[in-house]
Order: sequence, then C-alpha cells, then structure tokens
Amino acid sequence: MMQSSPLNLRRVIIWIGRLILGPIFIYAGDSKLFLPNTHFWPYFFFKFSLATNIANFAFQVEAFKLLPPWGVQFVAHTLPFTEITLGLLLLIGWRLRIWATLLTAIMLGFFVVVTRAYLLHMNINCGCFATPEPIGPKKILEDAAMSALAMLMTYFAFVEARHPHPWTAPASTQTQAQTQ
Amino acid sequence: MDRRANLSGPGYLAFLGAILSVMLLAGLGVQPALRAAQPHSMPQTLASIPDLDPHEALGSKNAPIVMEVFSDFQCPACKTLFTSTNRQLMDNYVSTGKVYLIHRDFPLAMHAHSKVAAQYSRAAAQIGKLEAVEEVLFDNQEKWEQTGDVDGTVAGVLSVPEMVKVRALVKGGTLDAAIAKDQALGQGYRVNQTPTTIFHANGQTFPYAGVMNWEILKQFLDQLLSQK
Repeated sequence: MMQSSPLNLRRVIIWIGRLILGPIFIYAGDSKLFLPNTHFWPYFFFKFSLATNIANFAFQVEAFKLLPPWGVQFVAHTLPFTEITLGLLLLIGWRLRIWATLLTAIMLGFFVVVTRAYLLHMNINCGCFATPEPIGPKKILEDAAMSALAMLMTYFAFVEARHPHPWTAPASTQTQAQTQ
Repeated sequence: MDRRANLSGPGYLAFLGAILSVMLLAGLGVQPALRAAQPHSMPQTLASIPDLDPHEALGSKNAPIVMEVFSDFQCPACKTLFTSTNRQLMDNYVSTGKVYLIHRDFPLAMHAHSKVAAQYSRAAAQIGKLEAVEEVLFDNQEKWEQTGDVDGTVAGVLSVPEMVKVRALVKGGTLDAAIAKDQALGQGYRVNQTPTTIFHANGQTFPYAGVMNWEILKQFLDQLLSQK
C-alpha cells in the first residue's frame, strides 16, 4: 500500500515553529545580553560588560511592576540565557516535547504580561529585544501569533510522538510491521 | 530508516551551523549597523554631548556617568520619576560627583501647559534656580495643569527680582529655540515617551524609557561605576 509523504501538515507546522521561534528566542536573549547599549560596531567589543547589560535589562523587568526586587534580579539574570538555550534546543530538536512545552509556557507568560501592561495603560517598553519598543496592539498581536504557533507546534509534537509516520519509525518497528 | 540517525548526520549539523551563523551575524552585526544609520550619532563623552547648557545640568562635569533626562513637566510619570527616584539620585550620586545630570526639555504636544512650564524652567535655570523651580513645578503639577498658572506657581519659590528676570527671559522668546534643540536631540535618540533617560558611561550609551525604580537604578549605576 502506498504511504503518504512524511511531510504532512503537522510536521510542516512543527518545522515552521522550530525555524521561526528558535531563532527569535536566540536573538531575544542575545540582544539582551550583548546589545542594550548603542555602541557602534565593532567598538562595543572593547567595552562589553555582561553584568552591566544584565543590570540594564533589570530596568525593563522592573517596569512591569510584577516582581519584588529579588525577583527582578532573578529574571534579569536568567531569562536571556534561558531564551538562548531554549532557542538552540528547539533548533536541534532534541527532547522537543519538553522544550517546546517550556517555550510555550514562557511565550504565553510574555503574552499575558504585555497584554496586562497595555490594558493598565502602563507607559513602558516591552523589553523583548534590545531596542525600545512601546507596548501597543502591534506588539500584543505579535506575541499572540507567536504564542499560537508555539501551542500548535507543541500539540503537534505530542501527536507526532504518539503516531510516528511509518517512514520515520525505527527500522525494527518497520520490520515487525511487515512481518505481521 | 531511523530518524535519529538523520539528526546526528553531517548535513543536519551543517544546517544547524548555518542557522547559528545567521543568528550571530544578526545579533552582532546587523543591529549595530542599523543603529549606526540613525540620523544622530550617540555621544560617547561629555565633550561630545551636543547642545549642553551647563545651567540645565547638575553635578560635577568630571563625573564618570552622564545622565540626560528627557522630561515633560506636565507628564505624571515624569513627576513620579522626579519625586521618587531623582531626589535620592541627587543625594547619593549627583552631589557626590558620581553623576552629571542633564535636564532635557521634551514637552509633548498633548499637554497644554508643558511648553510654558519648560520656558519658565529654562529661564529659572539661567539665573541658577533650576532645582527649586523643577521641584515646585512637579510638586504642584495637579494644580497648575488645571489652571494653567505656571507663572504663579514659579513665583512661589522665587524672589520678586528673580521673578522679574525670569519673566523677561520668557517674554524674550529666545528659550523656544533651546527647547526645540532639546526636542530635536530627543528625536535623534528616538525618544518616543517621557521620561526617557540616556546614560553615558565608559564610552557606552544606554537609553531607558520610563520611570526607574531607585533600587534597580542604584544597582545599575554601581555596576557602571565598577566597570573599568
């Protein structure tokens, strides 16, 4: 019996999610750690300070008025590294369901706090990337779209794991299936 | 065929390597290049900060950190920054010679009286009364923004001869050009809200838009001071 292509819709969405969200997360973490100041390339290499850049990112975290000072420092010190790690793991695809779930949770968290800030008319920047970006409907839509993509990717990753395609199932499983 | 074999293959690793290279280029190269294309270049030292009026600044010119605060006297967030954070900043960093604080006028069109307030503040700065006038304008913001009585508010902290000088400067019409210069400078920094603070230290420039929490600001300034 002829098999359908392994590149079904679920797999396409998983790949799109990985290829879009992975680089965005890496870039988000990278920009927080390396680019909060406005040095001209390549001069900033000589003045680069990770601690200063993290201390600067703490301003953005605090602006949301959700965390006590120790919480602000914790998030400022861990979020950029978490974003880079999750982005890399998403691209690599190792233990995809675990990291996709974590990334989706973080993405939903971003969506909630950004929407809350907008609804409360908080005159703050998103802090998503290094450049100042005021929070508005465009930013909320961006976050909503990325959250939706993350949720779809994670859901399909679980579905695919339960029903692996015959072409991509381990060879031993295929042999067993043929002999039955 | 086992899918896991594919994931560790040289093709897959080359693909990943290509993506990571693109990300590194994007992170380290593209954004600074885009910033370099901005109409105004970011100053790196006090000497290169444009349109610096010493009357509009507080602290020592030799301070290792320079802060430019783009502010609107009628904006509530600017009042919060002034009353909650800047007073502690003055006591702990400006008066001790660690920070040179520059006031920049950025009156927003949405505020009916903020430009008049900026004119009075500038005029007061010319006679060395910047701090007192800034304080009275922010402390009484809710009152004068209802009545528009900026003159009466400022008169509350200045003597009669001082007030005569301030009124003459305001009526002279020369202050508008200075305010417009500050606004143009802010647009160069891409200021899109007030308050916006631009930090300059160790040849670096950090913009921040919004009200800063004192504890977080203190940690950031200490970090800048500790950086060689």
